This record gives sequence, C-alpha cells and structure tokens, in this order.
Amino acid sequence: MDDLHDETGGAMKSLDDYFDPGFTVDDILADAKTSPYINDAYYAKLRADMQEWDAAGAPLTEAERQDYEALILQENWLLDRRNFERWYQLYTRECVYWVPAAHDLPANAELDPQSHVTIAFDDRRRMGDRIVWLRTGVAYSQLPPSYTAHHASGFVRVSTVTKGEVKVRSQFILHEMRANNPVQTLSGWMGHVFKSEDGKLKIDRKVVCLLDAQRAHHNLTFLI
Amino acid sequence: MPDPTDYSDLIEADRVHRTLYTDEQIFRTEMNKIYGGTWTYLAHASELSKPYSFVRRTLGLRPVIVTKDRNGQFHGVLNRCTHRGATVCRDESGTARRFTCPYHNWSFDNTGALVGVPMEEGYGPDFDKSKLGLGKLRVAEYRGFIFGTLNSELPDLETHLGHAARRLDEWMDRWPGGRISVRHGQHKLICNGNWKLVNDNSADGYHPGFSHASLLRMRKDRYGGGVDMQWVLGNVDEGLQTVADLGNGHTFLDQRREIERYWDQSAPMPGEDSYVETLRTRMGEKAEAALDMVMGSGMNLNIFPNLLIIGNQIQVIVPRALARTDLIWYSTSIEADDIPPEINSLRMRLQEDFPSFGEPDDLANFEECQSGLSVPEMEWLVVSRHRTTGKEYVDEHGHTTGPVTDELPIRAFWAEWQKWMTSTTKLVAQ
Ligand code: FES
Ligand SMILES: [Fe+2]
Repeated sequence: MDDLHDETGGAMKSLDDYFDPGFTVDDILADAKTSPYINDAYYAKLRADMQEWDAAGAPLTEAERQDYEALILQENWLLDRRNFERWYQLYTRECVYWVPAAHDLPANAELDPQSHVTIAFDDRRRMGDRIVWLRTGVAYSQLPPSYTAHHASGFVRVSTVTKGEVKVRSQFILHEMRANNPVQTLSGWMGHVFKSEDGKLKIDRKVVCLLDAQRAHHNLTFLI
Repeated sequence: MPDPTDYSDLIEADRVHRTLYTDEQIFRTEMNKIYGGTWTYLAHASELSKPYSFVRRTLGLRPVIVTKDRNGQFHGVLNRCTHRGATVCRDESGTARRFTCPYHNWSFDNTGALVGVPMEEGYGPDFDKSKLGLGKLRVAEYRGFIFGTLNSELPDLETHLGHAARRLDEWMDRWPGGRISVRHGQHKLICNGNWKLVNDNSADGYHPGFSHASLLRMRKDRYGGGVDMQWVLGNVDEGLQTVADLGNGHTFLDQRREIERYWDQSAPMPGEDSYVETLRTRMGEKAEAALDMVMGSGMNLNIFPNLLIIGNQIQVIVPRALARTDLIWYSTSIEADDIPPEINSLRMRLQEDFPSFGEPDDLANFEECQSGLSVPEMEWLVVSRHRTTGKEYVDEHGHTTGPVTDELPIRAFWAEWQKWMTSTTKLVAQ
C-alpha cells in the first residue's frame, strides 16, 4: 500500500508542525495569481475520480486514520474556527475544491463541471480569491460570519488506479448559523484525494456532494 | 396608513410605500394579476430540445408545465388535474407524451387534452372529456424565450417586448450565428425578502460600488485595476454607463461603453491561462474574438416582471411567499461551429463568479431591507434619484435615459406594476 507518509517515513507527528504560523492573508494575496492547470486533462481526471468514488470502500486501518481521518478532522476544525489561512495550507498547488450543483452523485450526468456550473469550483487561485474576499471585512453576506459545526463520519478508503494518491470518502453533516437566520443543516458525502507535496500530506482534490445540491440554498458563502 | 387597495396612495413620483413589500394581500394580488396578467417568462426553448419535452415551472404561485408537442409547438398548461385537483406532473423536467395523474389515473396529452378516464362510464352518458382538459395558458416564443399569460387581450409578445426585443437581439447576437443554450445547470439562491427587492436592484447602477465592495476590493487587491466592474467605483454618474426605460416596465442598464476589450477586462476564472494558451496556439488571432465571448455581455436587461438578463446569465425571479423569493441563475453557453468547446468551459467557470462573490452580498442587503421595512412608523422608500436633476434625456429610440444611478428603472417598474394591479381584465385558463 503506497501510503503517503512524509519523507521521514512515519505518520505526521504533530499537526502543529504542519502549518507555517507566519502565513497570512497577505501571502495568499501574492500566491497563485494565474490559473494554468485546469484544462481538459484535469476535467477528465475529475470524471475518472467520480467513477472511483462509486466503489465500495474499506474502513480505514488505524494507521490510515492517523493520516487521513486526522487531516479531514483537522480541516473541519479549521473551517469551524474560520482559520482560512491554515485551511489553504492543507491543499496542494494544483488543487480543486468542488461543490457540484447536481444531486445524487455519482449517478447524475449533470455533474460534469466542464459543461455545467457548480456551487463552487475553486482552483488554487479562486480558493485564494475566496479567502481574500471573506477577509475584506465588507462581504455583507458574511457579516456577521457563519458559524459552522462540521461532523464527519463513515470514513472509507476507496481504491484508485492513480499511483501516489489516496482516496477517502466520508459522510458529513454540517450545521450553520448566521445572524438571525435559523440554523441550516447540510449533509451528504465528501471525497478527499490525498497526495504528498513538499514532504507533507496534502489534499489535492475535494468534492462535496450535497444531498440537496439541486435545490435552492440560502447563502452558501461559508466553506463546506 | 394609506388604504392598501388604492395603490395611487402608495406610489408617488418620488417615493413608494413600505407596505408594497410587506402586505400579504398585495402579494396575493400580484401573484394573480401581474404574473399571468402580462406576458411572463417561463422557459427557454433549448431546455425543451426533444419532442415531448417538458419542464415544470410556476406562473406566480400557479404550478404550470411547459411542453413541446410532436410538431415542435410549445404549450403551457396548468399542473392541476381537472378531476380533484392533484398535480399531474411531479418531475422537474423530462419527456412525456402523456401526463397521468397518479391519484385516479386521468390522463392528459402534452397539449392538455383529457384522453383517458378509468371506468369512464361511471360518470354517466353526459360526461364530456373535451371540456375537461388541463387549463391552458396562452404561450408565445421570441427567439427561444417562451412566455405565458392568462390574458387573451394582451397584444402579441413581440409588440409587448417592444424595444426590449432589440436589446435581447443584441444580447443573443454577440456571436454571429451563435445559438444560446440553457442546459448547463443553475445557481438557485434563496432570498428571504419580497421579490420586488430584486427588481429594484436589477437596473440599480447606484449600489455596485457599495454593496459589492467585497468583490471589488478583492479584485483590486489581488489583480490591480482594469478588471471586471472596476468602472462602478467613484462617481459613476460621470462615467459612460446609462439606464433606460424601454416601456411596458422593461428596463436596461448598459455597461458596454465602459468595456474596451471584453477578454482583457473579464473577471478571473479557473482554467483561464491554460485554455488561453491552447486557443491562441490553435486559432492564432481568431482566438481573441472567441475569448471575448467568455466575458459577460455588459448588459442588464430586465423584462417585466421576472426575467433579468445579466452578463451571460438568464436570471429568473420566482416568488414563493411575501418574504421568500428564489432567484434562479440559468447558465448559458454559445453553440456555433466556430466556437471551440474551451470557450464554453471558461464560460461555466466565469458564470460561477458573480453568484459566489457578488449576488450573496446583495441578497443579504435585500433581506435587511425586508427587515427594516417592517417598521410601521417609517413608511416610505426614496426612489427620486435624478428625477429632477435635468440629467435624463430621450434617446434616439424615444426612451427616457439617464445616468447609471438614476432611479428611473424603479419608477418605470412601479408605473407598470400599477397598471396590472388595477387592471380589470379577467384572466382565464382556456
Ligand atoms: S385527482 Fe387526478 S385523477 Fe383524481
Ligand atoms: Fe448587485
């Protein structure tokens, strides 16, 4: 099994070592100002991913939990704390954060982002745009901000033919509260594709498949 | 409080009354008299590409089905069984030769005719199926845009659209020979506010520099000046944008004169640099004109009461309740032999930009308007901007035009609104 342990060969010792503490929104401002990697081949990769997500998964081993489940739980915590600058560091340089506007995935043919709009399709640059936008202090849809509680469970490893990648599927429930609005609940499944970059385990692609993706939503400007 | 049935007390030259946004009775009247009284946008022909296609829509709060028959003719029928009232169609879209009501299996063909009743003899010898078809709308199409009404006295659709049809032509004909396709997904945004807060905003050139400060600041901090929408900053009354009253409640905000080169001024989108390289390598100089088709049109064309053309998107206002509106942003592509697929992939990504970083801030502001308008002691909203500054003029087509922050489009909306709300025409489902 080609687990993606860091170069020392062991699972990540401490997640605190994972992040650059001096990394701020100013670093994001200057990072990834072009969009050079989303192309036909990348879209083809996402279609291939969707086929692989459809397979039965195997519950994670203890070692896999330490690597992959830990990182997903860490991601959830960072999002709930609105620590977007750290969240950004979890992702590779050629990443995508994708929330299809089609439900019933992977069965729905309307999923293909190459020919359909999505709720979110963020490459590295747009992910940066989103964080800078959230941090402007004048994004009225996030003033006051959304407070979220991500709950994840049902982690399974799904096999992939791509060398150097690990696929983990999970189920989620997300509660969101903002201003005077009632608490909203979102749920569905997520797929995380992990890859090693610069000696660290990172998320290369994340797809969020909402149960109600095709319905109207009230203010989805928070991160899922 | 003014009498809510006498609308002239609520709509003055300079101000309108808050109850127009907060009164249940007014909302119910609007849903019956405006939606279905005038030509109301229902669907785009490209959503009904095959024979026997249908889509489920609403006309105000009425459930309707838009269908295409075997000859390619469009029909609009009320989704309401003539037996005991159940909806006969429960899918969002699809193809069907017949709609069979699940309750007692009365079945209707896709033009609405009743064609089957189980154990029909039980209704006796005088039972006449031909009188029990689904309620029918009057339907008309203008170049793919399908409208419906329950008003048999309305002039034909093209007459009603008037000069708005010419603007729609300009929007559709940006690429000679190109066809607009509306089969690429939607953004569906909920606003807990009255539907007219959306209309008020649809040709409001006053708000972007403020309500969209987040988008503008993000763009400027990251990419510098020159990109999308930077022309809305500063004193826009001195800029080149205009608003116009096109008649019959249709209004237009024109940003096009601020755009020198569409592609260069476009908002960023995923895949931009990779596809530009591919296209320039493959097409040479011809790539530039095609790339311009990625960026939004620079037009905001509002067709009363519910169709808002914005950028490359078709935005449809769907009122659900007094203070609940769904805004559906239909994405579009251009189909033409000489438009490469990469252009449409880029269009998909660009059409995610404004629903992500622009519209949500407006919707938050509309909801806060709804909240503020609940205050009974503060009765009025100001809609007088540029009414008396002498900046309005009549353009070469005879339309009143003004600087982009002119509240003229809002005043034009209310004039049309009043016309339908006080109309005595009887609406019928034939
Ligand atoms: S209600 Fe439709 S068949 Fe009875
Ligand atoms: Fe706006």
